[in-house]
Amino acid sequence: MIIALVGRPNTGKTTLFNALTGLRQRVANFPGCTVEKAAGVLTLDGVDHECVDLPGTFSLLPDTSDEAVAFDFLAQTPPDQLRALCVCEASNLSQDLPLALGLKACGYPVAIVVNMIDEAAENGVAIDASRLASETGLPVALVSARHGQGLERLRELLRSEERCAEAPLAIPHTPRLALKDIEERERRRAREICARVVRRARTGLLSTVERSISMDRWLFHPVAGPVVLAVVMFLVFQSLFAWAQPAMDLIEGAFGGAAELVRPRLSAYPLAASLICDGIIAGMSAVFVFVPQIAILFTLIGFLEHSGYLPRAGAMVDRALRPFGLDGKVFIPFLSSFACAIPGVMAARTIPNERKRLSAILLCPLMTCSARLPVYTLLIAAFVPAAWAPLGLSGRALVMAGMYAFGAVVALLLALAMRAAGLVEAQGSALTVLPPYRLPKARELGRYVWTRVWHFLGRAGQVIFLVSLLLWALATFPRAPEGATPTQQMEQSFLGRAGHAVEPLFRPLGYDWKISVGVLSSVAAREVFVGTMGSLLALSGDTSSPEELAPVLQERYGLPVGVSLLLFFAIALQCVSTISVVRRETGGWKWPMLQLGFYTALAYSAAFAGYRLALLLSV
Amino acid sequence: MTLDSLGLDIPARVTAVRLKDEERARLGAVGLEAGASIVKLLRTPLRDPVECLVGSQLVALDRRVMAGILVAPETP
Repeated sequence: MIIALVGRPNTGKTTLFNALTGLRQRVANFPGCTVEKAAGVLTLDGVDHECVDLPGTFSLLPDTSDEAVAFDFLAQTPPDQLRALCVCEASNLSQDLPLALGLKACGYPVAIVVNMIDEAAENGVAIDASRLASETGLPVALVSARHGQGLERLRELLRSEERCAEAPLAIPHTPRLALKDIEERERRRAREICARVVRRARTGLLSTVERSISMDRWLFHPVAGPVVLAVVMFLVFQSLFAWAQPAMDLIEGAFGGAAELVRPRLSAYPLAASLICDGIIAGMSAVFVFVPQIAILFTLIGFLEHSGYLPRAGAMVDRALRPFGLDGKVFIPFLSSFACAIPGVMAARTIPNERKRLSAILLCPLMTCSARLPVYTLLIAAFVPAAWAPLGLSGRALVMAGMYAFGAVVALLLALAMRAAGLVEAQGSALTVLPPYRLPKARELGRYVWTRVWHFLGRAGQVIFLVSLLLWALATFPRAPEGATPTQQMEQSFLGRAGHAVEPLFRPLGYDWKISVGVLSSVAAREVFVGTMGSLLALSGDTSSPEELAPVLQERYGLPVGVSLLLFFAIALQCVSTISVVRRETGGWKWPMLQLGFYTALAYSAAFAGYRLALLLSV
Repeated sequence: MTLDSLGLDIPARVTAVRLKDEERARLGAVGLEAGASIVKLLRTPLRDPVECLVGSQLVALDRRVMAGILVAPETP
């Protein structure tokens, strides 16, 4: 049996999916969090069944790419194996029920899962489950997926044998007019049924809605609203430096200590000592040291995602984005891209207008993702003095905030260019659903942060481990004659020769052969740059511990090279995963290749201009 | 009258939605259709879109869309 979770956006399908399968798919409090189907295993009486979490859909008439994913899946699954669980929000049943009734009318085997009954109780809303079942002719379970309430009843319901009597309508291939008729009929019926099965203890607004409106009076206030938005964004960047530094120092010290501990013990095996201390430990230290910052970034982004603030922030900036040919719908893809461009590019599926969707996909990689964070942190620590504190604020945090702003400004300028080229038109987003505010649960937030940190360590760690090994081998062989210094060894190694060969390409940007190798090694993933520089400088004897990396960069290269590197990394599209996701989302290689070529040329030009300007100003 | 000319905090009922088919379908899916109760609640800082209560659901609607929604204020 294949159990498919369907329903309107933001009804808690993914939370239910996680509760049923034990998986940890991303959940958030805004419509359109899930844009791709996710599969897991649900075990009933020792038998494994496939459980599929589908993107939310407002109606039987798919309007966006993510909605089409849901209906394509239903159409492609053999009907005799399918069981659709239509997840409804208990406090909003009259809006969610039409989809369940519509799917039943189309011939699908459906069961109704009324979720968030805890919130409904808070709102004074009670639902007569048995009457709902008899009125709709569908099995019903009342659950709170967030608290694990009612899941046993849901499992019982899934054990019952109910199969499709005949092949259902394939929604993607059914004329829209026919679906519209079904939908309108079922919407009327849903209203009538809800009038009989939903009881409200008090009249007036639901408590959750009332609370949200009170908060919105502040957060949409003409003065307080933008100030809160600006303070929230600034706090994110300030905290990255101020709160993470002690933990970063601790991690750096631990890796330095490990290298010092290992080196004397392997004195009889200098090659092995060099491999472990200068290759593996130096490279890994450069990645692990950024875990505190990644954790803080995702804690804050996770809090915003779970609270319900994001769609409101999108609504707030909607009008401001219109002159650029964008609208508030791009806010969530853009903000998601601050974590990673991949979910950002995928979140663009919720944008109904195809051209705006394409422009969001093309612009998302300009937002400062978490992979850029280690690079910026290293470069800022190297080239911005710690003592610089304009207006009593951390100067390094200000430069970091400036880099985040720079990415966004470049994106807006390019959006403007696309609008001028007639690719997109200036029109606001017609409708944004504003979910009730919810206080994120510590456990949910903890899981979210842990999953993201683990993903970062897995991705960066594996690549950097392999790159560190490769770099070590290339820098160690062929061996220089006995008595050569580490620098002489490096110069005549395979790596040194290759670095010198590519150096002319990067020389106009101020890079020597070592930075050129660092930049080339980061083509697959940006964060590899820090690991490469850590290994390269350690292997050439420039640093003896990871703490020395930033001071050595400062001493050897100077501010103009720092500016050039910051500009290059702010724009260049060095992420193989993003390129492949853009290919998938745009259905071909044309757009990702154009994107890669354009951003590489733009990054090179900006780095060149920045380097020359900084040289002029520093004379 | 159209929704964009209705004042804030005045309960009203939707009498018709005069928009393109696909937009009307999208609004209908959140319950914004003829017969639905609606209140304009708050303007966002740039005054557009506007937060509205449709039934028991909060949505933000832009001015162009509001101009296509006909409403009748409800008498207290």
